[in-house]
Amino acid sequence: MGDSDEEYIGEVSEDEDDNNVFRGSRSEGSASRAKRRKQRGGAEWEVSRTWETLVEGADGTISSTVEGLLEAGKRKRLLKDTTPLQRGIIRHLILIIDLSQSMTEKDLRPTRYLLTLRYAQELVREFFEQNPISQLGVLGLRDGLAIRISDLSGNPTEHISAIQTLRDQDPKGLPSLQNGIEMARGALFHTPSHGTREIFIIFGSLLSSDPGDIHQTIANLINDKVRVGIVGLAAQVAICRELCAKTNGGDDTRYGVALNEQHFRELLMDVTTPPATYSQKQSASSLLMMGFPSRTVETSPSLCACHSKSSCGGYLCSRCNSKVCGLPAECPSCGLTLILSTHLARSYHHLFPLVNWVEVPWQRASRSSVCFACGIAFPPVPPKDQWQTTENQAKGMSVSSRYECTVCENHFCIDCDLFAHEVVHNCPGCQSKPTFPKKADLLGCQAGLGLEIMDTSA
Amino acid sequence: MNAVDATEHYETSARDPAPALLTVVLDTNPHAWALLEDSLPLSKAIANILVFLNAHLACNYANEVAVVASHSQKAAWLYPHENPATKISHDADGDVSMNGSSTNNNTTEGPGQVNKYRPFRIVEEQVTHNLRELMASTSGPDVKANNSTMMAGALTLALSHINRRSIAWAEAHGADTAAETSGGGPPSGGHASGTDTTEGLQSRILIVSVSGASDSAHQYIPIMNSIFACQRLHIPIDVCKLSGDAVFLQQASDATKGIYMSLTEPRGLLQYLMMAFLPDQRSRRHLVLPTRVDVDFRAACFCHRRVVDIGFVCSICLSIFCEPLDNGTCLTCGTNLEIGDYGAKPAVVARKRKKKKRVNGPSGTATPTPTPTPGP
Ligand SMILES: [Zn+2]
Ligand SMILES: [Zn+2]
Ligand SMILES: [Zn+2]
Ligand SMILES: [Zn+2]
Ligand SMILES: [Zn+2]
Ligand SMILES: [Zn+2]
Repeated sequence: MGDSDEEYIGEVSEDEDDNNVFRGSRSEGSASRAKRRKQRGGAEWEVSRTWETLVEGADGTISSTVEGLLEAGKRKRLLKDTTPLQRGIIRHLILIIDLSQSMTEKDLRPTRYLLTLRYAQELVREFFEQNPISQLGVLGLRDGLAIRISDLSGNPTEHISAIQTLRDQDPKGLPSLQNGIEMARGALFHTPSHGTREIFIIFGSLLSSDPGDIHQTIANLINDKVRVGIVGLAAQVAICRELCAKTNGGDDTRYGVALNEQHFRELLMDVTTPPATYSQKQSASSLLMMGFPSRTVETSPSLCACHSKSSCGGYLCSRCNSKVCGLPAECPSCGLTLILSTHLARSYHHLFPLVNWVEVPWQRASRSSVCFACGIAFPPVPPKDQWQTTENQAKGMSVSSRYECTVCENHFCIDCDLFAHEVVHNCPGCQSKPTFPKKADLLGCQAGLGLEIMDTSA
Repeated sequence: MNAVDATEHYETSARDPAPALLTVVLDTNPHAWALLEDSLPLSKAIANILVFLNAHLACNYANEVAVVASHSQKAAWLYPHENPATKISHDADGDVSMNGSSTNNNTTEGPGQVNKYRPFRIVEEQVTHNLRELMASTSGPDVKANNSTMMAGALTLALSHINRRSIAWAEAHGADTAAETSGGGPPSGGHASGTDTTEGLQSRILIVSVSGASDSAHQYIPIMNSIFACQRLHIPIDVCKLSGDAVFLQQASDATKGIYMSLTEPRGLLQYLMMAFLPDQRSRRHLVLPTRVDVDFRAACFCHRRVVDIGFVCSICLSIFCEPLDNGTCLTCGTNLEIGDYGAKPAVVARKRKKKKRVNGPSGTATPTPTPTPGP
């Protein structure tokens, strides 16, 4: 992370300055927080000693190295696991937002509270972009109670406007993790077993005032196959780590503490990637009945079954002919899931991810002089004796600024690499050649899949 | 608090109207063009498209164009074409590329070309030259063997180019947008910039389609990926269909709010292009656009290719089937699927539960009380 010394000190001193109602617990909290930060977030920059990686280039400046570090940073984000996994494409997620006193702190700008609300809205939007056939609900933790903000549903605008209304209220009291989780568990309890059950908590406090034994709650969560992910805004809290680890089969990577605004956002956005199903039992696979309605346009407006608003266009439920105004939706009268085939297609890139591209050493760099996709020029290959000096640069970054798709063996620049993996999910090279590489060796079905869906045309 | 951010963004937007980047994806499938020979030969279509490109360039001095050929077995750049031998730097930017192109294409330079507006001439020369090369590289057996078009590749190339130009434009016009386009969270970055870049480089894609879609079936997923990327980046895909029945293109223009037109009279190509496709996103807000309302979204089952209203979807690989599977094994991914679940309707039970919970939730006493746990 690009976290610097000053920032770290600044945050702590700010803590001590602020006038908090929970003075006692807070001051103790900030001390332990400082210590913990060293353990987790702090350790990262302390050990990596970024200043030592700054090596003077041949021209005596560090600009090339700085550029390299930037590039490495970009790339680090995108190097993710691309082994095709069974992923829970149909997700049920309860987002729990801490609305307690500790959210008034200003260590994240403008305040933890406002930033969280803003990012939560972004999260909702992105979640449905990435998981169009999933469901989401939002809860809040305030005054020791769990507050229902929006019910489990597949409509992003409902959630966003519900979160929006929170802006007028102030965070208050203490949070209770247990109450929040129990309410979320109740909401997830009747979700079908083919989908995932997930709870994601944005937790700004360092304590949880619970009415009972939270370990019992954790046991119940494991029983119900609910997974918990937490992003902390202050410091590590042992119970949060335990919650994440125990409900994710011992893996506590779904617990993260935000170092800064950017990191907070990254942690949140990680939630939008469907989780890999790590055990067959976790989500029983099943055959789902779904309706594929076609769009109708009426000459005179009629009421839709979902909001009772009058409109001319809409989709008719394929089973009972009720009109809904947007898709995907669950038919309000007969409960059939109504989707478009394009909604299914939207999830395919999770199932068949694009392989990571590899760095190109100077030896092979001479094969290309420009990026295959965008045509930007690559730095020319230097004479052989200079290869070594440039070699020891930041990890993850290609010395030659070239990245190679292992399938089509074309070279791309870092921007195209990012763009291909994060936005288009296509390799420009592979798609431009007649031989079709099999991206989906896992299922071996991609060709067939596409072929059949294409026939929607008929 | 947040308002502070917002005003900053608006200030930057109060400059000149941002230039537009028009990317034309030209379907050059020789087979399909041969069928069109009588009404609209390829050469005439190219001439029309060049006039259209010039019109776009003339709208704003900073406007840019790009042309990608979606050929029968490869997707290739027609303009700006990076010829590794002669030209190294800067695409689409007319000023820089002219040095390269004059050495590159001096064979095509005739005496009449001297008085032409330079950007027009460069585009014309490069497009015709590269297209000629592309056609020359296509052998008879190739055409016979493959009757599809590399639409997915062409779209991906076009998008990569748009991405590059957007980054370059943002870098040149204020770092704040640059940070958003190049940085930002993975898909979120695209999303965030999408809402804010209404005044950034305005990009759009025009597909001139001639071949049918039925043979490009294996490209379905990549094409849909490109369409979703366009949707996310707010890049409209306009479709001008001369022949063929490329259904996914309907969905492409529908999903990205582009214009879809199927020409009944291909001979009028230029007029259609100028009247329907020339206005950029800004002007389109004030125009009544030719839209297509009856997009068929129904799915076809994977087992019999029947068009279905109600289908059964594998929860693992999302394949669609028209009837419950006999042995419970997904035909596509082989997963053993639980049958019987679809008939049940758990929604009713869930709703009852929720109501009960709501009573116990916020209306409970102020002291933290354990929320009653639903029995398993
Ligand atoms: Zn409605
Ligand atoms: Zn219905
Ligand atoms: Zn590139
Ligand atoms: Zn490739
Ligand atoms: Zn069937
Ligand atoms: Zn399957």
